Amino acid sequence: MQWNHIVTTVFLALGCVVSLTGSYGLLRMPDFYTRLHTAGKTDSLGQVLIFLGLVFVTPDWLTQCKLIMVALILMIAAPTATHAITKAAHLHDLRPWTKGDPGGEP
Amino acid sequence: MTAVILIDTFLLILVTITAVAIIEVRNLYASAMLTSVYSLLMALVWVNMHSMDVAFTEAAVGGGISTILLIGTLVHTAREEKPQKSRVHWKAAAVTALCGAALIYGTFDMPRFGDPKAPIHHYRVPEMMAQTVGFINGTPGKQKPPEGFDHTEYRSFNNTVADVPADPTDTAWRERSLMAQHGIILPKVNGHAPAHVEPGHTHPPDDFNGHVPNSVTSLLAAYRGYDTMFETTVIFTAGVSLIMLLRRPRREGYLQRSAPLVDQTILRVVGKMSIPFILLFGLYVITHGELGPGGGFQGGVAVACAFILFALIFGRPALYRVLPPPVSDLLTGLGVLVYSGTGAACLLLGGQFLDYSMLDLASPGDGEALGMTLVEYGVGITVSMVMLTIFNQLAEEQST
Repeated sequence: MQWNHIVTTVFLALGCVVSLTGSYGLLRMPDFYTRLHTAGKTDSLGQVLIFLGLVFVTPDWLTQCKLIMVALILMIAAPTATHAITKAAHLHDLRPWTKGDPGGEP
Repeated sequence: MTAVILIDTFLLILVTITAVAIIEVRNLYASAMLTSVYSLLMALVWVNMHSMDVAFTEAAVGGGISTILLIGTLVHTAREEKPQKSRVHWKAAAVTALCGAALIYGTFDMPRFGDPKAPIHHYRVPEMMAQTVGFINGTPGKQKPPEGFDHTEYRSFNNTVADVPADPTDTAWRERSLMAQHGIILPKVNGHAPAHVEPGHTHPPDDFNGHVPNSVTSLLAAYRGYDTMFETTVIFTAGVSLIMLLRRPRREGYLQRSAPLVDQTILRVVGKMSIPFILLFGLYVITHGELGPGGGFQGGVAVACAFILFALIFGRPALYRVLPPPVSDLLTGLGVLVYSGTGAACLLLGGQFLDYSMLDLASPGDGEALGMTLVEYGVGITVSMVMLTIFNQLAEEQST
């Protein structure tokens, strides 16, 4: 097994784990903010790890550059989108869930 | 069962679920977002079919701009759908079922998926393939016309097909049989050998494995040149009708409620950082449309998105300072003018309408490339400006 395949596998596995925990948290968390908190990771960290993993198995340097650029754009754009959504919810007076509120328990 | 079919099945099941959800959901904002999800899933299906151009259009238009415009419209209407008595209209159900059955029956006559004997592979298409933009010298993948090149013969191909191989993965047969016969040389691409074909892989190797120059653009801009021109005209007409319907004499405070997000530092900074790159990407997609996936429609939408983002973050007064409505109205028409003007130029140079090879008689391939780029720019200008006008009108409607 070549070294780049090992690196790719590690990165892809990490990305998949992050995405999976994000999806699980989306179902498990009690309210809007916490759900977005977990879902935001799927977009940024999970995707970026997967893209970085793919860089190591791509033979073409141009494609590698493109993958890294897509990863960078996601690193900037995805958290901004999450921020904008939470800010909009906050401005609409959506109150975060606190312990004791109904509907939060799974 | 191959991986491709597995992924296709999975995606199409998701598409069906999304379609049902769009109908069932009462909240119209959720419905608009689901429409966007539907388009993105369809884009993935197109990618799986190796049709990058269609996927790109679906993602840009369906997933991007139409969602923005739908939500912009929803601001004026209701947030929730009115609950209706769930009564089945039997006549309508019968008509729908009959239509669906007829459509499914119709698919039985369609050629097999990726069939080399399908009409699309031999009727006129080889001729268009010969006119792809990568015909001419210079970079790898482009060739000089052969010695004693006769451009009258180049354009008079009689549509006969010499032989069709039984192997569906063999897409090189067109080049071998017809082009050699007529002394026409197709672009040869160095470096990118056609990807290996897995056994049982039903897709033929696509054009982006074997050819860098994009045959889709040459089909869209040359083979279906009139079609694309009138598509652009339809978009132009839509923009003009919208202006006629919605634009009123500006009242006091028509720029109200477009408050720029002064206190949103993060959004402003990220917007300032990304807008130039979105614009650059849009222009790249338009310019590069003749060589890779993309073209006027997708690039135009990307450019429009950059302007819309600018208006959302910095407010419409700022947008109107950058691009006043009279200018954007003018550009809307200019795009159509560029397209038809290119056609007319070919006419004046002695060819037929939209016969781009007339633009450069010494090397018709260069003429084709030039004509297609001009036409793509025409489409791009019209599409971006119409989308921007729709957004502006919706926003203005809200503030007056």
